[in-house]
Amino acid sequence: MSTNIYGIGLSGLAAAQAGLLTAGHNIANVNTPGYNRQEALFAARPGLFTGAGYMGQGVDVTTVQRIYSSFAAQRTLQSQAASTAVDAQSSSLSQLDDLFGDGTSGLNVSLDAFFASVNTVAGNAADTPSRQQLLSSAQSLVSRLQSYAQQIDTLRNGVNQQISSTIDSVNGYARQVASLNQRIATLTANGTSKDLPNDLLDQRDQLVSQINAQIGVTPVVQDDGTFNLFLANGQALVTGSAAHALVAVRADDNPQNVDIGLDIGSGVIHFRSSDLAGGALSGLLAYRDTTLAAAQNQFGRVAIVLGDAFNAQHKLGVDLNGNAGGDFFTVAAPDVQPATGNTGSAVVGAVIADAGALTASDYTLRYDGSNYTVTRESDGTVTSYASMPQTIDGVTISIASGAMAAGDRFRIAPTRNGAADIGVAITDPARVAAAAPVTTSATATNVGTASLANAAVSSGYPAAPLAAPVTLTYASGTNTLSGFPAVPVTLTVNGVGTTYPAATPVPFTAGATLAFGNMSFTLQGTPANGDTFTIAKNTGGTGDNRNAALLSALAGATLVGGTASLDAAYGQIVARVGTDTSQANIESTAQAAILSQAQSAQQSISGVNLDEEAANLQRFQQAYQASSKVMQVAGVMFNSVLDIIASATA
Amino acid sequence: MRVSTSQIYALGAESIGRTQADLLRTQQQIAAMRRILTPSDDPVGSATAVGVRQSQAGVDRHDASIGVAKDALGQYDSTLTSIVTLLQNARTTTVNAGNGTLNDADRGALATQLSQQLDQLIGLANSKDGQGNSMFAGFNVGAQAFVKTASGVVYNGDSGVRSLEVGAGRSMPVSMAGDALFLANPTGNGRFVASAAPANTGGAVVGTTQAVGALDGHSYTVTFNVSGGVTTYDVYDVTTAASVSTGNAYTDGQAITVAGMQFTASGAPASGDVVNLAPASRQSVFDTLSGIVAALKLPAGDAATRAALANRLGEGLSNLDQALENVMTHQAQGGAQLSELDALSGLNSDRSVAYAKTLSGIEDLDYTKATSDFAKQQLALEAAQKSFLSVTGLSLFNEM
Repeated sequence: MSTNIYGIGLSGLAAAQAGLLTAGHNIANVNTPGYNRQEALFAARPGLFTGAGYMGQGVDVTTVQRIYSSFAAQRTLQSQAASTAVDAQSSSLSQLDDLFGDGTSGLNVSLDAFFASVNTVAGNAADTPSRQQLLSSAQSLVSRLQSYAQQIDTLRNGVNQQISSTIDSVNGYARQVASLNQRIATLTANGTSKDLPNDLLDQRDQLVSQINAQIGVTPVVQDDGTFNLFLANGQALVTGSAAHALVAVRADDNPQNVDIGLDIGSGVIHFRSSDLAGGALSGLLAYRDTTLAAAQNQFGRVAIVLGDAFNAQHKLGVDLNGNAGGDFFTVAAPDVQPATGNTGSAVVGAVIADAGALTASDYTLRYDGSNYTVTRESDGTVTSYASMPQTIDGVTISIASGAMAAGDRFRIAPTRNGAADIGVAITDPARVAAAAPVTTSATATNVGTASLANAAVSSGYPAAPLAAPVTLTYASGTNTLSGFPAVPVTLTVNGVGTTYPAATPVPFTAGATLAFGNMSFTLQGTPANGDTFTIAKNTGGTGDNRNAALLSALAGATLVGGTASLDAAYGQIVARVGTDTSQANIESTAQAAILSQAQSAQQSISGVNLDEEAANLQRFQQAYQASSKVMQVAGVMFNSVLDIIASATA
Repeated sequence: MRVSTSQIYALGAESIGRTQADLLRTQQQIAAMRRILTPSDDPVGSATAVGVRQSQAGVDRHDASIGVAKDALGQYDSTLTSIVTLLQNARTTTVNAGNGTLNDADRGALATQLSQQLDQLIGLANSKDGQGNSMFAGFNVGAQAFVKTASGVVYNGDSGVRSLEVGAGRSMPVSMAGDALFLANPTGNGRFVASAAPANTGGAVVGTTQAVGALDGHSYTVTFNVSGGVTTYDVYDVTTAASVSTGNAYTDGQAITVAGMQFTASGAPASGDVVNLAPASRQSVFDTLSGIVAALKLPAGDAATRAALANRLGEGLSNLDQALENVMTHQAQGGAQLSELDALSGLNSDRSVAYAKTLSGIEDLDYTKATSDFAKQQLALEAAQKSFLSVTGLSLFNEM
């Protein structure tokens, strides 16, 4: 009997010690990330049958288990992936958002200053300092656009670097998960042992969580106790004790970008942001490929539209030396990138045909062996063509040389380099074409009061300028003007145009618009018989400000997409970035709250509470003391028996 | 619910961090005096502000143009005032020269005076503006507008008139071309000219002229015949080469009307004297003044030469009146434009005030609200800190 009491006391001591150890372990790991609290499990030893029934034999420590809910852990992982994604997006967007400042220093301020300078030249076309000032403010506008492009570039490079370095750390974690998988499988005898290496499981969970924070993964538990980690598109990152490596690869459609790829041994699979579900990397990719790329394209579009429209009008003027105006700005050409896997020999070219029709989207040209398709990436609209060249959204795409093979791809980004590559083409203030190319005059001896007013030229004029002065003569008998060069003449009366064949006299109608040879004039006043009017090249018209006034009017013109002025297009960028940022901020706060709830739920199950552990310490200490007492009692009893034996034999 | 110790710390720190971030944001807003620090603070407001600033920039451009236009028109106004004064003086000189008591020498002196006035006029017509540009040379601002040559005054400019956009859709001419101002003056009374032929030998003088009906644009001659003490006149249509009427009785001082053109003739014409009637043409003010100077230099002793002088002075005077009227019309137009500019300028100030108000509404901080928010957030932060300390201070270990 007494040996049994000893045994019971001993088992109690061992159990209390196990409890104290577990509580101590919990207390020690109170601040260990990923630690799940542990608990020693006890079971009463089966009783020994005696005549008086079953006598208890003490306690067994069955195992030490971690308090873990795979449901709570899974939920935390999911919320974490979503939260880190929007967090990365929100903090990156905030950097872009900061670029725009508080509205007193935006691109619109530079644009307005530039057009104010154009207006100053319109006010005094002959004044060289005003012209010089125009060139300076053009230069500062261009620098401003370039600096936006540069800052966007810096932000993109930051994202690219972050992607590269994140990939390195994810690969490290993945290898550790793989090796932990192996150890866990060994230690649990391929999942058959009831005793689990709790702290290794915690470590592995923590590593999975760290991977998940960067790139969303789903762990799938295998029978042997290992984890397989799958990415959102179904690719496995870790299978058992093998880890695949993520690699940073150059994006084949945009050399400025680093893409995420998975090395599966036989090749590299490229990931798009849509291939990733959650994690900082997916947020970064989404930010880089949507808002940042859109901002870059939109700035590019403003630059191209500005340069194109200003050049077009500038070319219709003449400069101080009487020469036709040239390009005022240098305008960037569309960017064309072949996909790395192309097998055809085609070199694809793209030129801007109509800057006003440009969108801020990129385009993908594909060839299936018989038809070409062009996909507008912003909305996925696909247009199919049987042949090239074709013009879409103001961009003419052509095969410059060679031929596309079936499956070949080209990425065409019409506006990508617009802001980075814009420049001021002229440096000589005299070459600002402020004057119009033709002048009109009524002969001084005319008896009537008629005149040709508002002389204007259209875009075809520079190619076919006025060769010799034209003198028109009015005949009162027929009420017509004659003397036109051998081209058709269009007379527009109240918006209704009538075209007169070459060499036909044209009726004089006050208020009507007369147009021929890419020139147009308004007929005014009342002519008298024999009155003559001369249309001549503008020579020596240094004070002529007509073209400058037309250039100045571009400030408010709806040049961008036919609906927005340049300032308004900048406003659209501001609104887009602002909206995206504020949405991401709101989402980030919301996801943080969800994550916090998931973590609270998980912690309420698995977290260490020091007060609880203090109580446990107290509890097991007392149990330990009690078991000691049991053994003491057993000792006393044993001694009593010995005393009896001693006195009997004495 | 079970609470883990690390959760107590994490949640406490998080709420302190959040409150701190709110407090910092309000502080930044107060320091910058702005509600919108970056576009994400109010994307729509930020974009609207860009639009309002663009409108304001448009107003600023118009204001700058108004300034330039006012300067330019002001310079034209003062130059035109000098020109008007000069032409009025020339007119007075011409009227004085018609005084019958003057002898050839007196008229010679007046001719000298008038030719000096002509030179002054050329000088004024060559005026330059503040930037050294010729004011009356059209677009050809680098050239001297009018050059005196042996064959008369030559215009080196063109017909260009500079315009500036001084308001939305309002393009205003801010220069005056020399040809329209000085060269293209109608002759006679503006509609037709009645002039005595230079070869006339009689003493008839053409007086006032006026159009009394529709003009057919033809040229006519009125030829006087004196036969037996009776003076009659014949009317002949030069344009169609047809006689209109013959033998009309002539009374000294009577008004003769031919196809709507009426003139008075006084004095005694000689037989064969002719008065030409023609539609008005154009003459430069320089030619008009030169013509008067030339007329004054001719001797005028007998009735015929006196009549010729009177006729030429009369003609010159009406041409001078036309020139004066043309200049004054231009001046009046400039004056009207100046007052329009004042009105536009006032309108622009009103707009600027309105835009500033809109911008302030979008971007500026509501101070009362911001300071009250700040106090509230400060209180929240203090509460979070204190409660964190007291929660984390509680531990069973303290009691063991």
